[in-house]
Amino acid sequence: MVNTLAPETTAPATRRPQRTATGRDRARRRQSAVAYLFLAPALLFFAAFLVLPLGFALLLSTSRWAGFDLSDIRPVGAANFTGLFADGSTFLAPVLTNTLLFALGTVALALAGSVLVATCIDKLRLQGLWRTLYFLPMVTTVVAVGNVWKYMYEPGGLVNGVLNALGLGSVAFLQDPHTALPAVVVVQAWASAGSAVLVLTAGLKSVPGTYYEAAALDGAGAVTVFWRITLPLLRPSLLFVCVTQFLTGLQSFALITVMTKGGPGNATAVAALEMYRQAFSYGDWGTASAAAFVLFVVVLVITLGQLWLFRRRGEDT
Amino acid sequence: MSRRRRFPLLSYLLVVSGAVLMVVPFLDMVMTSFKGPGESGRLPYRFLPETFGLANYRAALTQLNLPLLFRNSVTVTALITVSVLLTSSLAGYALAKLRFPGRDLVFRLVLTTMMFPPFLFFVPHFLILSHWPLAGGNDLFGRGGAGLTASIVALAMPFLVNGFGIFLTRQFVISIPDEILEAARLDGAGEFTLWWRIVLPQTKPVLVTLALLTFVDAWNEYIWALLISTADPDVMTLPVGIQLLQDHVDPTRTMPVVMAALVLSVLPVLALFLVLQKHYVRGVLLSGLK
Repeated sequence: MVNTLAPETTAPATRRPQRTATGRDRARRRQSAVAYLFLAPALLFFAAFLVLPLGFALLLSTSRWAGFDLSDIRPVGAANFTGLFADGSTFLAPVLTNTLLFALGTVALALAGSVLVATCIDKLRLQGLWRTLYFLPMVTTVVAVGNVWKYMYEPGGLVNGVLNALGLGSVAFLQDPHTALPAVVVVQAWASAGSAVLVLTAGLKSVPGTYYEAAALDGAGAVTVFWRITLPLLRPSLLFVCVTQFLTGLQSFALITVMTKGGPGNATAVAALEMYRQAFSYGDWGTASAAAFVLFVVVLVITLGQLWLFRRRGEDT
Repeated sequence: MSRRRRFPLLSYLLVVSGAVLMVVPFLDMVMTSFKGPGESGRLPYRFLPETFGLANYRAALTQLNLPLLFRNSVTVTALITVSVLLTSSLAGYALAKLRFPGRDLVFRLVLTTMMFPPFLFFVPHFLILSHWPLAGGNDLFGRGGAGLTASIVALAMPFLVNGFGIFLTRQFVISIPDEILEAARLDGAGEFTLWWRIVLPQTKPVLVTLALLTFVDAWNEYIWALLISTADPDVMTLPVGIQLLQDHVDPTRTMPVVMAALVLSVLPVLALFLVLQKHYVRGVLLSGLK
């Protein structure tokens, strides 16, 4: 980064003029003032758009409010939370179950696909080109990804076109409650596999070639090499991909908003979408805020769980 | 390289078929955008258009106010990108190279901000902005009007500072040798001059990466923009405007038009990504935020 500049040969301390104690104090105080001046935009922003909203959301999650006059906010204790888990509430099932299935399905598909592709890319020429192609969906707006796939799932779309050409009947992917969730899982995995491929190919580059040579000398087959050398050495990259993809899977609802709006029925309703709908469709800010915090806890627990699991496995081997 | 001894046919097959799977939806989008009237959605499905035409692009231009949508998207993206770069670099420099009481605490705070997922903030951000006092017809207590919600600024506001951006620049500023800064200080340069003359040029690669990540995210952002622009169509961005066209009218007829608009809106980012992908790839490896 900084190799354009020759390193300073003289130590700065020898060139620094002798300062009086008060002079040093003044300089230090001035540096503090400058530091806080430089940090001011960020700190003010975090106060206004992080601390204040979090406090407000906590307040709302324990209140009932019509959304107009701030003096109308009424405390209701934990009623919003208990309401989410009450009989007849759709939050636990199907919404939270869908969320977990959506995240799990996405991670499983994207991970399996990207591990396979990344290990293969590692053996090819033009690695940059391949990675770029896999990465295209990552830089495309969710509105494009969602609509293109929605259109491909239509009776006259590409997916059914391929099915028909193979002699199979058409499937109403997004209209059938049984296929809707798997259909959006495929799209989410398709859209997020690129970053996993990227991280995993970078991880594979750091595996020393001598390991493979030694394995070849011992006559190990490709499958053995993959299970015994590649996968264990990829563990940090795999953990990284797992955690980040799970995070995204648990909280993303933009794709579902574009493709199915949670339908048919509640077949693709996920927690973040439910939070959004409670707030902006029904004006139930309290329930929405409660749902957001519940989802936050779920995300936190699953993330910490993965870190713990990977660390324990790492100690075993 | 012993790993590339022979031609890895199986690997090629797998990677190429995967790549086809990745690219075909984009090609289908482009092909559909060129299809003539009545061609799309017709059975049996055909990949290539029978008659290449620009009718859908013309329709997109008349049914959508594309110049306005483009202008809004560009404005919001520029606001966010410039702000993130400035605030990240200033804060990153302070945290890396200046000595002041509370530095560790502030740094830990910055790291903590990265922990909170965006969905926690949709509701409170919207409510706070819509009840902003003395703005958009609101009185002193935030009643009566739309507040700050129906404005371009509101589209950008929640994204103007990025904890990850601060963290990233700090990690790079740290590698600038102290001697350079100290020498400039002895020459009488103030901290602002140091930041402008030394820190900014020295951290250019990471700033390019950060700019690219921010640009792509801001350009593609959908959910927050959807919330803000329902109050005022004049501040709609490209994704919101196009999705609205898709939602409102009979899908089989409008889909080709939507595809044409999408091609136009996706192209700038795709072009930028292809030109600067090395920087972008590095950013993703550094962040893994996706």
